[in-house]
Amino acid sequence: MPAPIDLERLYDEHAQALFAFLLHFTRNEADTRDLLQELFVKLAQSPGLLEKAREPRAFLLRMSHNLAIDLIRRRGTRQRNYEQLAEEIVTVFAPTPDADERAFRDALSSALDELVPEQRAVVHLKLWEKLTFEQIAELLDIPPNTAASRYRYALDKLRQRLRPLYDEIK
Amino acid sequence: MNFDAFEQCLQRQPSRTIPSEWRAEMLSAAKAASTAAHAPHLNPEHRRDARRFQHGRSLLSTFNSQLSTLLWPSPAAWAGLAAIWVVILVVNSTSGGGTKELARKITPPAPEAIAAWKEQERLLTELIGRPEAPAADRPKPVAPRPRSERQNGFSLA
Repeated sequence: MPAPIDLERLYDEHAQALFAFLLHFTRNEADTRDLLQELFVKLAQSPGLLEKAREPRAFLLRMSHNLAIDLIRRRGTRQRNYEQLAEEIVTVFAPTPDADERAFRDALSSALDELVPEQRAVVHLKLWEKLTFEQIAELLDIPPNTAASRYRYALDKLRQRLRPLYDEIK
Repeated sequence: MNFDAFEQCLQRQPSRTIPSEWRAEMLSAAKAASTAAHAPHLNPEHRRDARRFQHGRSLLSTFNSQLSTLLWPSPAAWAGLAAIWVVILVVNSTSGGGTKELARKITPPAPEAIAAWKEQERLLTELIGRPEAPAADRPKPVAPRPRSERQNGFSLA
């Protein structure tokens, strides 16, 4: 029987990163909460899961991604309706007192919203988790070239969309 | 890969922090799940029951998911149809029960009543005579003979 898992330590070390990734990916706070809870329940039920992982953070991000994909598949035909409902602006960035910064973050949030979830996942992992394309590819189970092309395509769209605001705050 | 200025600008945008109340909720849920998963190790019967329960629950959730996928396009129409069926079933069960009750209440006539009725019928028969035989029993009128026989009669005369 595997050794009991230190859930508190795992939560304190990784929950913030997993929360940010899931919130970027799902654009829905309730889903993020459910998925994060599901992940910790799975870890508690199967403590051996993390024993073989070389990088616990990457492993947990991969688990989160798989759970989110499962959720989308389970919803099946309802997904379109769900996406329409989820069109409200989700706050994924921290609030700021600076008006220009706030405007930029809102615009960035909207621009990210226009990307497909898989592009958002690559952008998030590259920019905010600072992973290499090889690591992203392994995590998302895609070829490295696909990860790179998704990132470049998504970044071009963000650049195009945010150029006026970016020039102002530069 | 080096990040350009735009990417660095994006990287500087911090994500929202996770709500602090989630920590206690998630850890307690995880611990409860862990306890439930590991407690039955002592008793194989409990484990079997839990597995059966899990299997039943997964079947139920699959059925539920399939059903909701099927009904999702027009939930109001399906709900209306279900309501109509419920009304039909209620009305049917109410009226069906009444008929059965009524049938149970009707008792067959007493043998004395049947005997009296037969006696009356016999007396009536004696007074007015037997009723006419039905039309089917009466002899059929004789059909006219063929003309060829009449011709024979003339010739004999």
